[in-house]
Amino acid sequence: MVNRVLSWVDQRFPLTFFIKHELTDYPTPRNLSYWWNFGFLAGFVLVLQLATGIFLAMHYKADSGMAFDSIQHIMRDVNYGWLLRYLHSTGASAFFVVVYVHMARTLYYGSYRAPRELLWWTGQVLLLLLMAISFMGYLLPWGQMSYWGAAVITNLFRATPYIGDQVVIWLRGDYGVGDATLTRFFALHYLFPFIIAGAVVIHLVALHTVRSSNPSGINLADKDNIPFHPYFTIKDMYGMGVYLFIFFLFVFFFPNTFIEPANNVPANPMQTPPHIVPEWYFLPFYAILRSVPDLVGGVVAMGLSVMIFAAMPFMDRSKIPGGANYRPWYRAMFYLFIVDIFVLGYVGSQPVTDNIVLLGRIATFIYFGTFLLLPFVSKIEEKRMRARALPPALQALFDKGVEGGK
Amino acid sequence: MKKFLTGLPMALLACAALSAQATEAKLEQVELANDLPTLERGAETVATVCTGCHGLKYIKFRDLLNLGIDKDKVEAWRNGQPLDNTLQAQMPEDAARAAFNGAAPPDLSLMAAAREGGGNYLYSYLTGYHKSEKGELTNSVFPGTQMPDVLAGADAADEKQRADVEAKAKEVSSFLVWAADPHAQERKRMGYYVLVYVAFMTVLLYLWKKRIWREIDKRPKI
Repeated sequence: MVNRVLSWVDQRFPLTFFIKHELTDYPTPRNLSYWWNFGFLAGFVLVLQLATGIFLAMHYKADSGMAFDSIQHIMRDVNYGWLLRYLHSTGASAFFVVVYVHMARTLYYGSYRAPRELLWWTGQVLLLLLMAISFMGYLLPWGQMSYWGAAVITNLFRATPYIGDQVVIWLRGDYGVGDATLTRFFALHYLFPFIIAGAVVIHLVALHTVRSSNPSGINLADKDNIPFHPYFTIKDMYGMGVYLFIFFLFVFFFPNTFIEPANNVPANPMQTPPHIVPEWYFLPFYAILRSVPDLVGGVVAMGLSVMIFAAMPFMDRSKIPGGANYRPWYRAMFYLFIVDIFVLGYVGSQPVTDNIVLLGRIATFIYFGTFLLLPFVSKIEEKRMRARALPPALQALFDKGVEGGK
Repeated sequence: MKKFLTGLPMALLACAALSAQATEAKLEQVELANDLPTLERGAETVATVCTGCHGLKYIKFRDLLNLGIDKDKVEAWRNGQPLDNTLQAQMPEDAARAAFNGAAPPDLSLMAAAREGGGNYLYSYLTGYHKSEKGELTNSVFPGTQMPDVLAGADAADEKQRADVEAKAKEVSSFLVWAADPHAQERKRMGYYVLVYVAFMTVLLYLWKKRIWREIDKRPKI
């Protein structure tokens, strides 16, 4: 019976082919580490955000007079509304944690390199969409930080040449952040996740064309590729369990870690909070913005700091496979960059003082410096490594007769 | 990557320590109880004293009953108002503004969530009144505050009076912490079950993963 139904479907829709091609026959390197779990986790978080978000939207009022109250209505009166809201607000932060780890893994293992450039660039688009969504979502509770964060960030578009002021008004729908801004942010906050879902499909199509990279950086022989299902479905499920444990720890016991106290005060256009900070996941970019004394320069630097990842396939000129584990110089740069991001994050969270500004400028300099030096460092590193013969572990991989990377 | 894993928590701890220093240096750290008698005493002070000037627009009388507060007390506080009315300030906002140099007394429902330090902030603020060297009343947490020293901590004559003020401040803070997030206790109770369930499920998934990967794991490492 099942077979007859399946064959009926298969004559009309490639269901069996699809399952085979993408799951049960899809070859995946058997040496993937747990760092490769984060792509699946990002998709999982997206689904959770969609599910909680749709139910939140049933109780939320996108109206500047009612938004703040409707959040409290959700928190107090709606059955398990507090759970929906804490899942969603914690989920936003979790999304960035997962995506940032996913990106760090790509950088460390050089997964952005040929032939995975388009995969990396679709990921970059996903990052931009995620940033836009979370920025717009943060306005919806209509607290002080929501309001002033949106006011500060939309105001940056003043830097647009010639039509800056008009662009700001166009974005806000009003001269200041107001009801028009709130309603359009809500509409877009509801729309964008579906665009993300579409972009995720494109990301996956690209992935299944070039297939997963692996810690060795060399395409493995056929015998070392194993089917995605059941090996990686179960591995992803196990990773999801670990993720959920940490996630629920925050949701049930520390849900206010990611909610600024000032955002529990209703938005007040007449009163600027003493210290406006964006959410933690924007802090490094915010620090770069503040490190440049000129508005246009700051905005350009901030935009570049996000977009520069797209240039990685061109910047990294080394042909040595294997990611940072076989490349001492690249590895040093990777760790320097990670530490630098944490320093920038700290700087972004602090009020402006002379020392903080100085620290921010040094960190900004290092941020762009690591990118700009990469073409030279990677070239020199390759020359030195070729002159001295490859590291034994890498040589061993070649000796085993694996195809690919020369 | 391993070095990074060990370094990351250290860096986070350092950041946390720095930010804690900056914001909570002068707040007193207190244990706030959340048992019913404490919350009831706190509610009594809030409903009979604080609501003279402050409202709690998200707390209905019904919420107090649901919390388990004595019915007769709630009856007395609501004084014939419907159960679904919220706790409102008795002083009209304009009159309050006029009385307190233009500062309207803020709503208290979310006060514990709206200040860095939460309950510690409220307690430190309520007990923070003292006479400056010039003899003026001031508050160590919020120097320019327009609120009078309602609990009269600055006038406490001896240890016993001081202890009374501190006890009252604790009760009020406890109640306001509850008011800011009334489902907090339910949330934590549920959280234990959820974590135990997820931990158990994760162990099973790990064993299942081991089993499925048994043959693969025997192969030499790449």
